[in-house]
Order: sequence, then C-alpha cells, then structure tokens
Amino acid sequence: MITLKKKKLPDAEIPTSSMADISFLLLLFFLVSTVIDVDTGIGLTLPEYTPPDQQELVPISKDRLAAVLINENGDVLLNNEIIAIPQISKTLKPRIESKIDLPANKKLVVSVKTDRKTDYNLYIQALDQIKDAYFQVRSEYAINRLGKRFIDIDERSDEMKEIRDKIPITISIAEPEAVKK
Amino acid sequence: MKFEKKRASTKQSIPTASLPDIVFMLLLFFMVTTTLREVDVLVSFRLPEAKAIEKIENRRLVSYIWVGQDGRIQVNDSLTKLEEIQKIMYAKRVALPNVIVSLRIDKSSQMGVVTDIQQELRKASCLRINYSTLLKI
Repeated sequence: MITLKKKKLPDAEIPTSSMADISFLLLLFFLVSTVIDVDTGIGLTLPEYTPPDQQELVPISKDRLAAVLINENGDVLLNNEIIAIPQISKTLKPRIESKIDLPANKKLVVSVKTDRKTDYNLYIQALDQIKDAYFQVRSEYAINRLGKRFIDIDERSDEMKEIRDKIPITISIAEPEAVKK
Repeated sequence: MKFEKKRASTKQSIPTASLPDIVFMLLLFFMVTTTLREVDVLVSFRLPEAKAIEKIENRRLVSYIWVGQDGRIQVNDSLTKLEEIQKIMYAKRVALPNVIVSLRIDKSSQMGVVTDIQQELRKASCLRINYSTLLKI
C-alpha cells in the first residue's frame, strides 16, 4: 500500500551570516571616504561698496582709532609705533578694555591697511592677533561680570547679546588706494 | 563516584543575528553625515594658520573662492578671471542672500590679489567673508 506521506519541506531560510560582512565592507568604505572637514577661519564683514567719487571721509577721533599698517617688508606700524606682530594683541587689549563701558559710538575701531605686496600670511597673523585681543577681552568680561565661561554662553542668549553690545568687534579694512603697480 | 564536568545548559555561541542591524545603523550614520566633495579644486594652495578662529556653522551658506600659489583664481569648479568674480558672486548672492564667502587663499600670496577680490566682492555686495585658516597648535 502506498502511503501518501507529505514531504517535509526543509525550513526556508535566508543565510544572513554574511550580511554583517557585507555591511562592514560598506561601513569601511564610508569611514574611509568621509572627510569631516570643518570650515574654520577668520570671519569679517566687508564695508559696502561706494564708488571712489562718492566716498565721504568720516573723521574718527584719535583715541578711538587703532591703525594697523603692514608694509611689504612685514613691518607693522600700530599708531605710528613699530611693533612686532605677536605684540599687537597685548597692545590692543587694554585699549579695548578701557572702552567696554563707553557708548557704542565711542568703541575702538581697528583699521587694517596693507600694501599690495604685503604677504597674505602676515596679514592673517595680524588679523589673528586683533581677533585674539577681542576674544580675550570678551572671555574675561564673561567670567568677571557674568560668571560664566564665554564658550558656555549660548549664541542666542541675552548674555551673548550684552557681550556683543559691550565689546563689538569692529575691524575696518582700509579702502585701497590707487597705487602704481 | 563519577565526576562530571559541569556545563552550562545554554548554547555556547554569541548571538550574531543583530550584528548586521548594528552595523547598518553605523553605516547609515556615516552615509548621512558624509558630504561628498562637489567640486574639484584645480589650484594648489596651503592655508595660513591662526589661533583666534571661528567655525562656520552653516555649510549651506558657504561659497568658496580659491587662490593658488601661482595666483590663479577658482570660483565654483572652474578657473576664473578677476573681472568675472563680480558677476558670478552677484548671481550667488541673489540666490542666497546671506551667503558667506570663504576665501581659501594660499599663504604665500600677496595682498594685491586679496584686495582685488575683496573689491569685487564688495561690488557684488557679498559682504560676509571668511579667511579660511587652519588652527595653529
């Protein structure tokens, strides 16, 4: 007699043991090809363009202005005194500090002027020093008056606004003069 | 008396069934955070170094201008003449009003070319700039 025995099907299974290997391979590819390059740099806001014939000269009183001149040999002149680039920060700091409590129209203006042949690297170093002076003043203000570290203060908080109002970073890039090339 | 080694009754294998899930999660993280380089940089440049630097938080706003060691200028993905910067950047500025222009300028450049580019940017009213630098350690 023929017994109609139902054939037992083997368990249908997808072999997943190699799945981990495959995904590791993909993962490695993305790990290797990822470039996490953060854009870092010195931020600046340029003044609006006005044609040379419409430019007006606004007089700025001497004690508000810190003029930084860098010539093509790399000599730096800060308010008519020759100084080295690493000294800029130290020289500017007391001047910025002395103007913290003054109204906005009496704050320090740092003017940077370069020659056409000045080395770009030197210009960045000088700008770095100026920014550094401002950052130092700002962080000291944050600790002494607000009791917080500057980096802990939220970008949009009132405290940050207060710091920005009290110690605004005003760096003016001097209007280039027509020079003989 | 017969001594018998005690054996745990559980299966002696590390359960690997969830391994692919974990790895896929990592994979997805990297896929999402990766920004693929969109442009080929055609000029060679070495950035200057500085201490007091800021991060640009919003990458979408950034648009780059490269200046190489030889003084060639690249905007977008092609080399450009100085006079054309104004037109290109103005178009960018119209599309994205608060564009930040990141200047990736070689450190051995002279200020002449930098000033010229800045004047062009001012004419195009792209006023927010950022001198790209590396962190000095």
